[in-house]
Amino acid sequence: MDLTPQRRFVTPLAGERVEDLAARALPDEPLGSAVDQIRSWNLHIFAMRKPAGLILGSDVVFVEPPRR
Amino acid sequence: MFDVIVRNGLVVDGSGEKAFKGDVAVKDGLIAAVGEVSGPARREIDAGGRVIAPGFIDPHTHFDVQLLWDGAARPALEHGVTCIVPGNCSLSLAPLKAADRPKVVGMFQQIEEMPPEAFTQAFDWSWEDFAGYRDAIARNLSINVAPLVGHSVIRLWVMGEAAQQRTATPAEIAAMQDLLRECLAAGAVGLSTSFVDLDEHGRPVPSRFADFAELDALSAVLGEFGRMLQCVPEFYDVDITIARIDQLSELSLKHAIPTTFSPVFDNTSTPDNAPRILARVEEQFARGARVWPQMQTRPIDISFSLLRPSLFFARLPRWVRVLRQPLEARLHSLNDPDTVAKMVEDLGPDGGRKMMGGLIVRGGDAAPAEMVGRTLGEIAAERGQVPAQALIDISLAHGLDVAFLAADMGHEDTDRIGPMLAHPLVHIGASDGGAHIASFSTYGDTGYLFSEFVRKSGRLSLEHAVRKITAETADIWGLKGRGRLTPGHAADIVVFDPATIDRAEERPVFDMPGEGMRYVRDARGVDAVLVNGEVAYLGGAYTDAKSGVVCV
Ligand SMILES: [Zn+2]
Repeated sequence: MDLTPQRRFVTPLAGERVEDLAARALPDEPLGSAVDQIRSWNLHIFAMRKPAGLILGSDVVFVEPPRR
Repeated sequence: MFDVIVRNGLVVDGSGEKAFKGDVAVKDGLIAAVGEVSGPARREIDAGGRVIAPGFIDPHTHFDVQLLWDGAARPALEHGVTCIVPGNCSLSLAPLKAADRPKVVGMFQQIEEMPPEAFTQAFDWSWEDFAGYRDAIARNLSINVAPLVGHSVIRLWVMGEAAQQRTATPAEIAAMQDLLRECLAAGAVGLSTSFVDLDEHGRPVPSRFADFAELDALSAVLGEFGRMLQCVPEFYDVDITIARIDQLSELSLKHAIPTTFSPVFDNTSTPDNAPRILARVEEQFARGARVWPQMQTRPIDISFSLLRPSLFFARLPRWVRVLRQPLEARLHSLNDPDTVAKMVEDLGPDGGRKMMGGLIVRGGDAAPAEMVGRTLGEIAAERGQVPAQALIDISLAHGLDVAFLAADMGHEDTDRIGPMLAHPLVHIGASDGGAHIASFSTYGDTGYLFSEFVRKSGRLSLEHAVRKITAETADIWGLKGRGRLTPGHAADIVVFDPATIDRAEERPVFDMPGEGMRYVRDARGVDAVLVNGEVAYLGGAYTDAKSGVVCV
């Protein structure tokens, strides 16, 4: 059985900051908007967490908006 | 001569096959014969009108500390549970260096709501390594135990403070692999990890600082033993949960290991979530991955008083801060009008009507009789107050010893949950036995399975329900020789009345170290429980049998 496409994500590399991660995940976007998008798709990291934006090695970081 | 024969019962052997009338004979701790058994036995138990089934297995518990003073994990055993899996959610009591004990006690206190006295008053903390913990509990067991080892404590052992600061170096990962190998060799049934939990200071637990490479490396060690990886995913977000299912599946396929995650709740306000999760699980199983979603049988409810912090306030940081203070300081804050005004303000413009209006005042403590059983919303309206203010005032007027019940907080629609529990890929479990003891009873989910889903709604047959919590569980976890009434298998046996087995009403008891309170539910309809062939519970009383083992 094929896997139904689900919301795509990456996991952080060691020591990666949001800028690094955004550049890696969205290489065709200007960095500023790539960072903004990554932030807006990952409120569990960038809004709900304390301290907000602390990226953990185990994080699931979405690289696209919700599909539904 | 047999040791025991359980006679004239309805044998539900765990396989899911149709029940039949018969006897079960026991010798040397093992099932010796099933069917019509002739010949004498040292002891006979009459099971006329009763079911004879394999003992139930509870795969998600936090009895790690309780086992040190209570080898029966009361009241789990009297519900027919003969095997428990502690060490879930990245937390175990070994391997743990003496210097790190306060740290891990803090995490147990925060995440599992275990009182600190439980760790300081009831046992002699003599071990550091996993074998030492195993030996410490093994001396006193009436129930079987298949303990997980926690990823957070493994990380803490190897990395110290850095466990909560960064990803691990290759050398540290290799050291964690060695340590995990040692634990598995000493009887750990697998590794538990968490992607959601916070410690007592609000910092993510150590396992959350691990990158995927670390989890992959640890899973490779699990693969050497074919053992389980358990995890707590971000259950509040279905997209993240599905991402975790995919990660677990990748690890399961790569290392040929079983994996399981919990909790999976069904909520009628987000009715697509649980079905989406199950659909993904089906797809991954079709690829050959083993990624078992654990689902609890009972609806979610929470009880609390202002005597101690509670899960109920998890989204109200100021309430948490106030309630976590020592009693004197807490009373001071709750008597301070400015603080209280801010606390009430935190509930929003409705003063807590939505969140607290439906709370029910529980009986059995200092609650005034005229309030018991009524909603806080009604009481507050009579007093001309908003519910949050009434909650504080009523609590203060009675020494904070007034308990409130938040009932039906989700996972309560039997017609939706029944078919999910019956699903061949849903693993019934997630009781959290022994945790959250002052918030709700984590005992009796098996009784509820029979009363609600077999008797009341008929969503599962008796045979199916038994299989789900015995043979299936043993197979999922690789617990060889358990979970079935088959000759040669361990004689873990429960005798129960299929017409009455149930969980009783939730009630507070004060049997924790330091006379700490917890909520329990007594068993109904369970006549006898045998553990490795010895009678551990009979006619409403525990025996002196200490026949439980670490069964991995
Ligand atoms: Zn747990």
